[in-house]
Amino acid sequence: MSIEHAVEMRGISKRFGTVQALNGVDLELRRGELLGLVGDNAAGKSTLMKTLYGSVIPDAGEIFVEGQKAALRNPRDAQALGLAMIYQDLAVFNNLDVAANVFTGREYTRRVLGITFLDKKRMYNESEALLSRLRINISSPKLLVERMSGGQRQMVAVARAIGFDATILIMDEPTAALGVKEANTLLDLMSELRDQGISIILITHRISDVLSIGDRVMVLKGGERQGVLNVEDSTLEDVEYLIVRGRPDGSG
Amino acid sequence: MTANQTPPTRVESARARVRELMAPRESGVFLALVIFFVVMYTVSPIFRRPFNLITILRQISVTSIVAMGQTLVIVSGAFDLSQGSIAGLAAMVTAKLWKNAGLDPPIAIIGGLGVGVLCGFLNGVLAARFRLHPIVMTLATGAVFLGVNFYITRGESIIGLPDGLTWLGRGLIGPVPALIVLMFIVAFLMHVLLTRTLFGLRVRMIGGNLKASQDVGMNVERIRVGIFTLSGFLSALGGIVLLGRVGNALPQIGQGLLFPVVTAAIVGGTLLTGGVGSMAGTLIGAAIMGIARNSLVVLQLNIYLQDIVQGMLVVVALLIDQFRRGELNWRIILGRDR
Repeated sequence: MSIEHAVEMRGISKRFGTVQALNGVDLELRRGELLGLVGDNAAGKSTLMKTLYGSVIPDAGEIFVEGQKAALRNPRDAQALGLAMIYQDLAVFNNLDVAANVFTGREYTRRVLGITFLDKKRMYNESEALLSRLRINISSPKLLVERMSGGQRQMVAVARAIGFDATILIMDEPTAALGVKEANTLLDLMSELRDQGISIILITHRISDVLSIGDRVMVLKGGERQGVLNVEDSTLEDVEYLIVRGRPDGSG
Repeated sequence: MTANQTPPTRVESARARVRELMAPRESGVFLALVIFFVVMYTVSPIFRRPFNLITILRQISVTSIVAMGQTLVIVSGAFDLSQGSIAGLAAMVTAKLWKNAGLDPPIAIIGGLGVGVLCGFLNGVLAARFRLHPIVMTLATGAVFLGVNFYITRGESIIGLPDGLTWLGRGLIGPVPALIVLMFIVAFLMHVLLTRTLFGLRVRMIGGNLKASQDVGMNVERIRVGIFTLSGFLSALGGIVLLGRVGNALPQIGQGLLFPVVTAAIVGGTLLTGGVGSMAGTLIGAAIMGIARNSLVVLQLNIYLQDIVQGMLVVVALLIDQFRRGELNWRIILGRDR
């Protein structure tokens, strides 16, 4: 398998009851690129990404991560391979501060008299460093997440994923619930991350987002791949045509 | 640029420390406590007697100790309604171990605490492994614990306990009643547990976002068992202290403990839906309840107003909670939110 690809999916199929959600889908994510994944509702975008993240097991097909065949039985398997998925319904802890969220599941601790104490200072310092490295504009790692805007919460989730040494980021409609300004800030963060070498798949309804910051865009329709376009030489109309009409030649 | 220009960093960090200790949720109830205290201190000469102030602290100590356990449980997103029954059972077992088994008071106390741990562990296993709903489940186990209590005591009291058994409730450490010292020690340790340890963080996580906690891969079951076990232990400790305060072992000991305990936690700002709460807040909540009860006495009002006042305070606390979470506003109350 080609080593230039961070992710390669071959012939992924998945059926839910009578619905063929995915039908022999291929996907290539190049290393350090931002790939848009677009399509109408029920096109199979989220299902495809869930198979990549191990939360849906495909009926057929193969997945390669960094050139290695991957057996993904659950999200933890995916995380171990450097994948991170950031969902629409965010898995952040609103009742905790930024640092606690960034370090969820891998907290720094010290054992004193058999009791595991949190090394808060270290977590505050390192999350502050991480936020500034990612140029995320959050004033303090001590801020409670519940006091933050939707965009800032997304950024906390991104920081957490990157803090876990994720190299492949899957983002499912991250800008859907955000205002224009916030969405733009998040898009800036994503292109920043891409420039730092992170490979990103962006599921979105907002095609203009992909065209502004993406490298390539892949279109799904009815659980089948319709095509992959280079953003540089594509227009909004080209993408929309594929989403609505599907492949021009109609071939399988 | 004048003399009052102290080094900003130090002031800043001190302010941050204060802010951290007095997060907005607690600062509101703390303010209420201060106002209440100052008003009572001003209007009532009896209230401000040192003896009376010590009495208030003595009266809230058992409630507070048990409420620390309840706070932990509520922060984790559950409830422990069996606390009163555990307190009673532990107290009676302690007395029985001394009277019938002839054990030394300290050993009997350890036995009583052991019973509390066992009851709490059972609650934890039922809640975590068998996934029973904690409210109804602990209501049921509470009935079982109370039944066991009456079964082994046949409803009979044990009169005349030795000093060794009553010391926790009646003894003095220097000039200070032991149970007040114990209350502050428990509060401090529970505060450290909730805010400074990995276990405490896990408790806040599963109370704040259970699904995300499971996704992270933490052992939710084990944490739940730990929470209920600790709640059982503190209930037993409260029961044994109560044994000392009463001086005799009455089987109905601990009945009526649950409401003030839950009240202290709620008035102290513990979020009923889980994830948020503090030991400082619960202590403040217990103090507000204690002063409310005491004011009825020193102002020579009818002491039977106590339940009414207590009940109303909880309703007010719940209303404030709803406002804070944005679940309630004036438009809804006035029926304009259609």
